[in-house]
Amino acid sequence: MNVTFTRRGFAQFLAAAPLIGAARAGQGWDETLADARGQTVYFNAWAGSPQINAYIAWAGEELRKRHGIALVHVKLADTAEAVRRVRDEVAAGKPGSADLIWINGENFRIMKAEKLLFGPFTEDLPNFALVDTGGKPTTLVDFAEPTEGMESPWGMAQLTFFADGAKLKTPPLSMAELLGLAQTMPGRISYPAPPDFHGTTFLKQALVETMADPSVLGTSAAKEDFLVASNPMFDFLDALHPHLWREGRQFPQSQAQVTQMVADGELLIGLTFNPNEPANLVATGALPASTIAWQNRAGSIGNTHFVAIPVNSTSKQAAQVTADFLLSPEAQARKADLAVWGDPAVLDLAKLNASDKALFKSADAPGAVSFPAPAIPEPHGSWVPLIEAAWLERYGA
Amino acid sequence: MARTLRRLTAAAGALPTMVLWIAPLLLSLAVVAPAALDRQAWQMSLGHPQLWPGLWLALATGGIATLLALAAAIVILAGIPAQRLLRGLAAAGLALPHLAFAIGFGFLIMPSGLVARVMVGGDAPPAWNTVQDPWGISLTAALALKEIPFLLTAAMAALARGDAAGRLARECRAAASLGHGAGSAWMRIVLPQLLHELRWPLAIVFVYGATVVDMALVLGPTQPPTLSVIIWHALNDADAATNRMGLAMTLLLTLALAAALGCTAMLLALTRGFRRDFLAAGPSLLDVPRHSALLLAAVTMLMMCGAVLILGLLSVAPRWPYPALMPPEPGFAAWAALAAAPAPLWLSLGLSLSVAAAALAAMILWFETQPPRRDVWLIGFALLSLALPQLAVAAGQYRLFLALGATGTLPGLCLAHLAPAIAYVAIVLQGPYRAFDGRYMKVAHSLQTSHPAALLLVKLPLLKAPLLTATAIAFAVSIGQFVPAQLIAAGRYSTLPMEAVTLSAGGNRPLAATFALALAIPPLIAFLAAALLGRPRWR
Repeated sequence: MNVTFTRRGFAQFLAAAPLIGAARAGQGWDETLADARGQTVYFNAWAGSPQINAYIAWAGEELRKRHGIALVHVKLADTAEAVRRVRDEVAAGKPGSADLIWINGENFRIMKAEKLLFGPFTEDLPNFALVDTGGKPTTLVDFAEPTEGMESPWGMAQLTFFADGAKLKTPPLSMAELLGLAQTMPGRISYPAPPDFHGTTFLKQALVETMADPSVLGTSAAKEDFLVASNPMFDFLDALHPHLWREGRQFPQSQAQVTQMVADGELLIGLTFNPNEPANLVATGALPASTIAWQNRAGSIGNTHFVAIPVNSTSKQAAQVTADFLLSPEAQARKADLAVWGDPAVLDLAKLNASDKALFKSADAPGAVSFPAPAIPEPHGSWVPLIEAAWLERYGA
Repeated sequence: MARTLRRLTAAAGALPTMVLWIAPLLLSLAVVAPAALDRQAWQMSLGHPQLWPGLWLALATGGIATLLALAAAIVILAGIPAQRLLRGLAAAGLALPHLAFAIGFGFLIMPSGLVARVMVGGDAPPAWNTVQDPWGISLTAALALKEIPFLLTAAMAALARGDAAGRLARECRAAASLGHGAGSAWMRIVLPQLLHELRWPLAIVFVYGATVVDMALVLGPTQPPTLSVIIWHALNDADAATNRMGLAMTLLLTLALAAALGCTAMLLALTRGFRRDFLAAGPSLLDVPRHSALLLAAVTMLMMCGAVLILGLLSVAPRWPYPALMPPEPGFAAWAALAAAPAPLWLSLGLSLSVAAAALAAMILWFETQPPRRDVWLIGFALLSLALPQLAVAAGQYRLFLALGATGTLPGLCLAHLAPAIAYVAIVLQGPYRAFDGRYMKVAHSLQTSHPAALLLVKLPLLKAPLLTATAIAFAVSIGQFVPAQLIAAGRYSTLPMEAVTLSAGGNRPLAATFALALAIPPLIAFLAAALLGRPRWR
């Protein structure tokens, strides 16, 4: 048998033996860069936004020029699709079809628990040192699940509401004020039905604002504790629902549908996880220039989104180089630009040199958040299925 | 010796059909069958608070939509003798993808939609309960409208088979001489035979309506949604236990559909005597429902065209706030996005053309080498494969292809597209192909023409019209595939529907409308081409 050890052959060898691949995670960065050249990275990323897709295309072009990496955007409607694909492939002992996944929360928790991820690798990325891990603790703890180096932070998110300022002069800055507004303007407010991600987040926000001691949210919840803790939230929802769109008997299916209904004028208030999405939608002409955005006064649920490498990836080196590039000041600044995507950076600007810092221009565009508030960390993952099941039980049928 | 040769030819002729279609499908079902024994999955399913209301909604929307579409199709067929008009309506309706129609129809009737803007106006949309109404009325209406063209196509194919048209006309004349009005004669002679021919197309329409996901997401109720939507979310969840619950629910839905169809068949058998009495009842002067037929056909056509027109407007409207009657600032960003990434379009076109050609070749080979009595099995299998919920078949197919290493490959993708296309070709082509007058071939053979040459020069040209129609249908079915294709593609390939669904995930309506139109145009061209090229030369 004639064995030639080409670079590609070695990559395939690594893929065939995930354990050896993991052991090689500690290789020097120069070595990683050398191995990465010529590899193809299949980046599995949600593709519902033309702006985000254009940004990923830009990153691919830069990676090709700088590192000889071919980045292919595998467009997903739902990240769970990639989780299931990797799980099935690993179970069948097949090489991976995904090399990098845009991920956080439940999907990450499942992949980490089922040992479907490669790593830890983030400490090896040169640009990881620039991440604001102190000021933004969610870059290390994803929905109360420690990342332990198995995913690399990419951007920041915080629950933000928006409306047409021409129709809504004073925005409700708390759940209690939202109830008051719903009573004066019945049928014009709603939220996406959980388990839609944004719908569940709306409920988490209501939980945080109504419960006596929100500090227990950081720990694992038992069903009995949850029932006691969530009582005030369900009292609030019982009071709110009769004043919602269609008397709270039907709900929009997704955040996207809510946004569309706000744009059409059917609903008054929309919600998003990207604080800059309203400004971005104004820039693309989807929302009017009179759009205003705000976060609830006492703080709103915030988190971080990441990229992770599946354990059966056949291009682990190039995937790491891609993750590192996405953390570079240049890539993060471009991502934060309202005209490009508007996704807040994960970096600590104080750690950057003057020329890198200058890349981050603070723009006050129409639709930008006018009432910012601190981020509240996500509750522990165990709360989510309990909230969703209780909601479904009460309002699902 | 000759007999062995004949057997070998027959075996070889059936091989493509067996290997490319029947074997993979049976194996896929075998792969998914063990899910029936998953106790935890069944417990989760039965404990789901939306299971029974969701199942009821699925059966009710699918069932009522089927009955409405059937009633409309019967009135239209009875009242409009002009086949050409009906053919145009049927082709246009078939070409329009379900999702495209749902988006267009939805924007017509929703509270902030076009009807409300024209009729109500004001600052804020009216509090109408249209679109996503809790009873599934909008979904039922859209399904019924969308299935009328399919039933018309199936009915016209059945009436045109062999000498059926002439025989029926003679029988109707006989009824008229007994004093029956035209409508009464049609109802007592044509309708019973037509309904018998339509029983499988009706089953397909019912199963499709009760399991449809994309239309239900746009128009269907939400709390609870139809069971197919619950299943769709469960199968898409990252959690493996929830996936298995979705699979168990799929089996439950399949069983419920089989039970509903079985009950209907039993009910029909029990009422046979009653129906015979009705058919034999004395002469009635009932005339054909000409005006209602024209009205129904016009409404159906108007809805189809209206949906396309609205999609066109939505595709260039980044923002279209209530109560504006026209988009205030048109923009072509969505069309630019489609033009900027044309690869999925080319892949879909190439894939669907090859799939249509392969399906046609496999079926011609089957009909040329197999005795007609085996067609019962072929058609039975085709109908069964179409009547099974697509979600279940796709899940099994994915597991099978993954084990074979065929996911993420072009051959795997082709096979995933071929299965439904070949089923439709079998159903559409069987009648006309077997009705071919064998004397033409006998003449060709007596003139010393070889069999392949006679096939190419005489038989296939004479069968041009049904062959082209079958090709167009295979093309349209193939280019619309989403669920199985997306699973098999494993992120390595992106077809037009995949691109449409992923880009629409963000709720960008111009993009969704643009891709819906892009999905409607190729099949429309295919049907038009089939109609134009299929015209006989000597008429």
